[in-house]
Amino acid sequence: GPERSRAGQAARVALHYLNYRQGSPSALRALGQVRKATLKAIPGIGHKYYLQFTTEDYKSSNTFYEHRSDVGTCLATVLYLKRKPRPAVNINCTYTKDQKQTREDDYSFYKKMRQQTKSIIGNEIPDNDGNIEPDLEPVWALAVAGSSYIMWEKSTENLGYFMAQVKNVKQWITKDDSTDFDYTVILHEIPTQEMISCHLRVIWIPGHPLKVKYFCLSENQSSESGEGSGIESGSTTGIFNEKEANF
Amino acid sequence: MRGLLVFAALLATAASRETFVGNQVLRIVAADEADVEKVKELEELQDLQLDFWQEPGSPEVPIDVRVPFASLQAVKAFLEFNRIRYSILIDDVQMLVDEEATQMIRHHFMPQTLETFNYASYHTLEEIYEFMDLLVEANPNLVSKIQIGNTYEGRPIYVLKFSTGGTKRPAIWLDTGIHSREWITQASGVLFAKKILDGYGQDPSLTSILDKLDIFLEIVTNPDGFAFTHTKNRMWRKTRSVRAGSSCIGVDPNRNWDAGFGGAGSSSNPCSETYRGPFAHSESEVKAIVDFVKSHGNIKAFISIHSYTQLLLYPYGYTRTQAADHQELDQIAKAAVTALSSLYGTSYRYGSIITAIYQASGGTIDWTYNQGIKYSFTFELRDTGRYGFLLPANQIIPTAEETWLALMTIMEYTRDHPY
Repeated sequence: GPERSRAGQAARVALHYLNYRQGSPSALRALGQVRKATLKAIPGIGHKYYLQFTTEDYKSSNTFYEHRSDVGTCLATVLYLKRKPRPAVNINCTYTKDQKQTREDDYSFYKKMRQQTKSIIGNEIPDNDGNIEPDLEPVWALAVAGSSYIMWEKSTENLGYFMAQVKNVKQWITKDDSTDFDYTVILHEIPTQEMISCHLRVIWIPGHPLKVKYFCLSENQSSESGEGSGIESGSTTGIFNEKEANF
Repeated sequence: MRGLLVFAALLATAASRETFVGNQVLRIVAADEADVEKVKELEELQDLQLDFWQEPGSPEVPIDVRVPFASLQAVKAFLEFNRIRYSILIDDVQMLVDEEATQMIRHHFMPQTLETFNYASYHTLEEIYEFMDLLVEANPNLVSKIQIGNTYEGRPIYVLKFSTGGTKRPAIWLDTGIHSREWITQASGVLFAKKILDGYGQDPSLTSILDKLDIFLEIVTNPDGFAFTHTKNRMWRKTRSVRAGSSCIGVDPNRNWDAGFGGAGSSSNPCSETYRGPFAHSESEVKAIVDFVKSHGNIKAFISIHSYTQLLLYPYGYTRTQAADHQELDQIAKAAVTALSSLYGTSYRYGSIITAIYQASGGTIDWTYNQGIKYSFTFELRDTGRYGFLLPANQIIPTAEETWLALMTIMEYTRDHPY
């Protein structure tokens, strides 16, 4: 099978896609453990990973790691194409967190943001010492959801990403039903170790697909930009409609 | 009553004072109810501006009162006239206030003692260097500080030596902070130092390790980078060396070692975060360790600590060829991560660098392994990506505690398997 590190990287790509598509700051997931992984080379097309992995709540910030909060298992395929665009992802997960609760949490964050008369602003979230002000935690989580789109788009079999920090955030107060944020986020790129600065615009209504626009700048690479309307299909259709391998 | 009026007349109205200069605290012992009544009369006189720390109550129970300078003579005269016993508890309150303020400022900016040092917070270079001196002071028989070189910008590079004697005993080397933005590592290094200090003579296993081996601990392996993360750029990774021909600064100190130097897994671009440098050991921070290791000649275990992603790694990073001792190293790693996870359930993966993480050339432990230091390991500490380099300070102590169990496993193994 593929190396553990490759399998983990592929699983993370699948989760970037999931976190973006779900568009729910309260329901973000992080990678737990990869349980099974196989790799299939598709000549002329790319490498396809078949994965089974557990997930954890992204926001659980226990002081003592007594029980990592397992929130479900996923089966996913990740196809890294030889040519761009983004990796093609298919993912299905169980979810053990109370979905009614996460919907309520999303909604109360949404309501609070809609009630703002003055724009929410913030800098360096988390700060140097890793602190996130409780009031700004959902704003940070929304940045993770939006950044997940960027990270999904940019991931290749050799390049992986983490969202390192929200450098700054400014809310746009709008007249329509959406919440609207301008972020500068810093992405940590592996294995180059580069910190990539991206401007990210997120437009969000709970229960609706996330709308994302981004523009990334890196000292060593050309700039990249993209737009997501939340309805992108993860997988490519047509000749890739194969049965999932038994694994 | 007459006596009281006489003495009240002696008073100048006590001006309201902003300081406590000359104030005293008196302890009055009322022998009987009559005495208590007298002291209560004193309390009635607002002009005296008496501040009772312990109110008059039953006889025999001490009554403590802060007396402003202007009222002192009158109060003492009154007590003596009425034959009420008293003593001076504090003879200059201002001095006490000043000292407390000084202590608070000192405590905030500099640790006074190893006990007041805040292990659950991130510290500056100066604070860590101060901590190291306190450690040596606490037990100079066990701990000494060695300067192994200077950084590019001229800062001293210090290593703590823990030794119970002998000459060039077999030794264990630990380093933290080689990549300056990995703040959890320097913070853990501080705790490891404290644990070694406290553990000698208390913890049987650590004591037996130190009775046979020396431990060298370099807490801030990249001082220039670390200072830069505090002042300018929290995400700085490399050294701060400058070279002609490029406006970019710094070399990745974990790509600068002479092991597969220049190969795939490092960059030739000075602006890259994994820039290998113009030649192996070009960085004074790296050269200092190289020279130390070579001249010591008897180091048996070498552990270099990074963050994040929760991994325990052994050579090689620069090649897919398996290390000759990979099976033994794999077993040690397995035992170490089991010990680590026993504390809080934190799970680590383990394996060779190239299979568990990615190809990296010019790495520290590939060089130390090729020098013959068999037990060469690298840690990647917490977390797995939620906070990454910005790990909350409330995770410092748990991270250091669980990692310590893994380190003890490796050190015990080293003690028990001399070579």
